[in-house]
Amino acid sequence: MYELARGPLMWAATVIFLAGIVYRSIQLYLLTGKKERVLYTATPVKPKDRTPEERKMDFIIAFRHSLLGTHPIMAIISTVFHTFIFIIPIFLLGHNLLIYESWGISLFSLPDGLCDTLTAIFVLIGLFFLLRRLIVPQVRIISTAYDYLVLAITVAPFLTGFFAYHQWFDYKTVIIIHMLVGELMLITIPFTKIGHMVFFFFVRILIGSEHSFWRGSRTW
Amino acid sequence: MPAGQRKPVDTKKIKALLDQHKGKIQVSLAACASCSLCAESCFLYMGNNRDPHYMPSYKWISSLGTIYRKRGNVDSTFLEKTQDRIWKNCVLCMRCYCPFGIDIPGLIALARGMYRSQGFYGMYPYTAGAPEACGSYTTDESSTQEPGTAGAGTGK
Repeated sequence: MYELARGPLMWAATVIFLAGIVYRSIQLYLLTGKKERVLYTATPVKPKDRTPEERKMDFIIAFRHSLLGTHPIMAIISTVFHTFIFIIPIFLLGHNLLIYESWGISLFSLPDGLCDTLTAIFVLIGLFFLLRRLIVPQVRIISTAYDYLVLAITVAPFLTGFFAYHQWFDYKTVIIIHMLVGELMLITIPFTKIGHMVFFFFVRILIGSEHSFWRGSRTW
Repeated sequence: MPAGQRKPVDTKKIKALLDQHKGKIQVSLAACASCSLCAESCFLYMGNNRDPHYMPSYKWISSLGTIYRKRGNVDSTFLEKTQDRIWKNCVLCMRCYCPFGIDIPGLIALARGMYRSQGFYGMYPYTAGAPEACGSYTTDESSTQEPGTAGAGTGK
């Protein structure tokens, strides 16, 4: 089972993950084919000769309307969660050793102790999201079993990885479960709500909106 | 008009509208992480003691989203029960914010078109109470409604 999870299943998961991302990107690109004639730019053009007070006021207004201004705790926690979800698996020594064994190359690795702490924080944030979903009325009203499942799929690889590192429970079983849930997460990314990994960048860059990172003119 | 006297829902019309906008609805449903961060961007949500029923995502997911998931197989009771979410609870000010860029006002407008195709209209102003007071917004079907019944809101 270990060899199966490490070899063919890992390949299958990676191929489905990459193909799914390409599929989702093409789907979104085609869906937003209509071009919007920009009459007013999403972010108003500000005069160059603003006084320092005006600049300060503009900054305060922009900040207060941002996610960081309206939901500071959620914005910070969410950013940490999404940063860790990339950093931990990519720069984990154990993962890089496996890549080195297979291909003779590896990425830079973070110290084990640091990754362990980051994983613990990640799992705790996952718990925070779960409690928020259960307790906060506006989150609970739109939460379905599917939302809880997606959260479980996201946190499970990190939780099992944490167990495996500390050799809690039967190591061999835990490591196999860890690999399987990790592969499950990769497969589900393009086809479930975790697909916002693709949608996020797409809508913030290509679709015109006041929250765009770039002046996109595509529209639905 | 009492629920029993409503015309049966023309599911063919609803399905045709769903097919026409399938991609947008499907992707939007898939993209919504149910984070509820759109809540505070709605002034009606803020002005109604943060009642979650005014949350932008709730408004379209519980109307259009449910119709899509049921593949258009809904009855007039469902439309009557949910119509206030897209008519009374939203003014389409287009200020709702979604971190994933979901076009919430566009989806609510789409839902309105769907409800309208089945004779479920919004009657502005809701404060007017009886549809007779709404002048040109009334239709043959809705003009026979009794004050305070479907479409006329709760006089908020």
